[in-house]
Amino acid sequence: MAEANRKVRHHVIVGSGVAGSQAAETLRECEPDARITILTLSSLLFYNRYDLPKVFRGHRDWREYLVYPAAYYRDWKINVRRCSRVAGVDARRRVIALDHKEEIRFDTLLVASGGRGYIPEDLTDFRPLMHGFSSYTEAMSAANQVPKKGHVIMLGGDMIGLDLARTLLETRHRVTLVAGPNTFWPHEVDEEERPALIAALEQMGIEVVEGADAGGIVSIEQGAPGLSARRVLFRDGTELYGDVVMPFFGLSPSVEFMLGSGVDIERGLLVDPALRTTTEGIYAAGDVCQIWSDAERRYRFYYGWKNVRAMGDLAARNITGSSDPWVPAQDEKLHISGDGKIQSPFWEYA
Amino acid sequence: MGEIKPPTGEPGTPAAGQREYLSDDPRDIGWVKQNVPCQTACPAGTNVPVYIREIIERQYGRSYETNREANVLPGVLGRICSRPCEAQCRHGWPGNGEPVAICHLKRVASDLKDAGHRITERLYSPTGKRVAIVGAGPAGVAAAHDLSLLGHDVVIFEREERAGGMLRYGIPEFRLPRDTLDIELHNALRLGVQIRTGVEIGNKDSQMPMGKLQEEFDAVLLATGCMAASPLPLLGEWEQRDLRGMEGVEYGLDFLMEMHRGVEKTVGKRVAVVGAGFTALDCARVAARLGAQEVTIHIRTAEEYIPVTQEEIFEAKREGVRIKGLRTPVGLTAEGNRLTGIEFVQNRLGGWRSNGRRQAIAIEGSEFIEPCDTIIIAIGQQTANDYLGTRLELDRWGNVRIGVDGMTSHKGMFAAGDYVSGASTVVQAVGHGRQVAKRIDAWLMGRERRKQVVRIVPVEKPLRERAFDFITRQHMPTAQLDERMRDGKHEVELGLDENLAFEEAKRCYLCNLRYQIDVDRCIFCRACIEVAPRNCIKLVRGVEIDEQGAYGKLLETKEWNQVGAIWIDNNECIRCGQCYTACPVQCISISRCELTEVEI
Repeated sequence: MAEANRKVRHHVIVGSGVAGSQAAETLRECEPDARITILTLSSLLFYNRYDLPKVFRGHRDWREYLVYPAAYYRDWKINVRRCSRVAGVDARRRVIALDHKEEIRFDTLLVASGGRGYIPEDLTDFRPLMHGFSSYTEAMSAANQVPKKGHVIMLGGDMIGLDLARTLLETRHRVTLVAGPNTFWPHEVDEEERPALIAALEQMGIEVVEGADAGGIVSIEQGAPGLSARRVLFRDGTELYGDVVMPFFGLSPSVEFMLGSGVDIERGLLVDPALRTTTEGIYAAGDVCQIWSDAERRYRFYYGWKNVRAMGDLAARNITGSSDPWVPAQDEKLHISGDGKIQSPFWEYA
Repeated sequence: MGEIKPPTGEPGTPAAGQREYLSDDPRDIGWVKQNVPCQTACPAGTNVPVYIREIIERQYGRSYETNREANVLPGVLGRICSRPCEAQCRHGWPGNGEPVAICHLKRVASDLKDAGHRITERLYSPTGKRVAIVGAGPAGVAAAHDLSLLGHDVVIFEREERAGGMLRYGIPEFRLPRDTLDIELHNALRLGVQIRTGVEIGNKDSQMPMGKLQEEFDAVLLATGCMAASPLPLLGEWEQRDLRGMEGVEYGLDFLMEMHRGVEKTVGKRVAVVGAGFTALDCARVAARLGAQEVTIHIRTAEEYIPVTQEEIFEAKREGVRIKGLRTPVGLTAEGNRLTGIEFVQNRLGGWRSNGRRQAIAIEGSEFIEPCDTIIIAIGQQTANDYLGTRLELDRWGNVRIGVDGMTSHKGMFAAGDYVSGASTVVQAVGHGRQVAKRIDAWLMGRERRKQVVRIVPVEKPLRERAFDFITRQHMPTAQLDERMRDGKHEVELGLDENLAFEEAKRCYLCNLRYQIDVDRCIFCRACIEVAPRNCIKLVRGVEIDEQGAYGKLLETKEWNQVGAIWIDNNECIRCGQCYTACPVQCISISRCELTEVEI
């Protein structure tokens, strides 16, 4: 019996997003007897973050966002540890340390901790006055702050933010975008393409302010009672008033708990095309990893729901014995359709 | 001050009725070195727990003087130290949170002391010996101060117009205000040290020959640092090309030095800084202040491995500086003599080098070009020896080799600081300057005049509360971006105020407190073990003694019939005092142990 137990591997996945959840499913399919544990900081089971703009349409019950019911995890024998913050990983001992001092041993580890909304360092002082949008809790907080037909000031404006802007406009909110160099992140847009794309945003109904033209943001302030809740002040003296200020500057990989683990990190965890990190038995998938691209001769991130799901699936297959290389699963090109609307593959999810 | 007592019985245990005493027992000296990791990590040996305790007591002047005993530039190092102490701080060990802001607290002592604060120095009577020091940087100044206290006549020869070396010419004012530097240099050199600035040592007509110094002085100390910028190793057509004189090419240290000599520097719109140290970061931040629209630091490895503090990186990013990793420059692009870009090769991370830094391995065929108008090359500095007029024995890196006595291969010629170690940090230079000063004194006087002992002071009760362990690290307030950029000199870090300092100081575990259980009085009730927040109180069969005579490995046991003692593992102990309070028979004692020096 003891001999049999030793052969059952324990696969631990950090992160319960698209990559982590897909990996758990594939792992179960490939290795029916394995022990699978997902560690997540979230208090919710895997939910669809791409659907979060719906909170502004009145869909506020968290159950609506769950991808699978709780029974799914029981049936698939996937142990989900919610509200678990990973403090560190000891790759040599194959142990994960949780913030509450518990240690979890693993045979293989998949890091799929994703990314959090990046806030440029010069705006970090104003973090308490901004509303993020990278979790259900944050989305609810923003939705509760914006009155009917309220005014949302978006800073930066990545494709996640612009997706939200579409919903906000449809729900008769006012959206002002303070555009910057990464307004169309993660699309790489050159100087020639940009004016047409900005014009398309304006055609959508977004009021666009070029942040650089106004000298950049000097401060974000809280309004006194009876006034607008937020004021954004620019270096040239111009100002914007709104109900919430929401930063959208792309994602910053959540890798802090991997520092000192021995796994190589640049901005994300560095992985080979098979999604193996530089430490045996540790893999990474999703927004947290930089994959070596033989074609481009560089490490790079791949974003988008389809890519992330494919990464979770690939990592699980490679953990269980395959050695397949990464192949991007979606187009990365930003288009303007015949009717002047922006079309992004990052907005295609289901 | 107590007397040195021969070791009797258990070390660290004062005899009945004794209040304070000095011990030269190797077990006591070893205990401090093992258990006070911040002080051990500090190249200058700063007594960190004592100065932090003095801040808690709001004795800022005394705290400043405690710092000055080890390092004559507390206000300077409280701003720009590389903080090896914080990397070792017990509060930063896994599970304990973030390290104490030791460096910021050093600055607190300097900032909050009274304006008319009285400096204390221990002066020796004149020896009649004369020492020449070449270089008024941190190593030279630290050595000059200590040698002058020891009674020697010291003259410093400095080629620049003002003293300070790298501190004045290599570090921007927004990190190190010059009034702070001037005051501390003045304090360090006012005890009879002569400083002759604008005097260059060398063999030209306008220079002072080294031979003359050797004739006129009993000893010469070379402390000229690493002031020659390392060239950028490029490949192909750029390999042999001299980049100096090319439009848009700057060498980091020269760039900063010229600026601080008063030369008006300019940069292009797109600035690329190549390098990963404090100089690279300083150059990037200066470039942002000079109006560059895009400043990028290009590094061979990754941000995790660059040897600067996280706070410096964060502040640079706030100022708009970007960091791009995994790339090594292999060539440049140019139009005529004007730089237009840099050709890089993509790297992957390799193993570890002997100096503790990460290796970068170029990936074949991954070259790419990034356009820029200015490149600032800040990949390191080298020593220059051509001024000596004589050949000294060098090590494999081209630095001067010295013996354990601090002397070079020339009798009477000593060397200290970066000139010996290669480019290092200010605190290393200060620490090494002091060490070599002690060796020079021993050589001049024919004997060591001071030795290291441990001062042991009984403490009546725990000095900390358990609640202090849950205070989070206090963050350094910084200037608004607009203020920083206005004149380029505005100090970025504003210093902790009294309240922030008090909160931060309370976080210090005061690792110099030694908790001990008197086994003869212990009733083995385990009350202390029950309340201990960590696995810090252990049942042991015995304790090994290591080669230096200090306590080594604890021989733990779980068998009661083998227990020789209940032992407080001071390595695990966070000095919370819970055990002391819980003990029903008061068999736990606390003593403060600190390294000090006494006359032999």
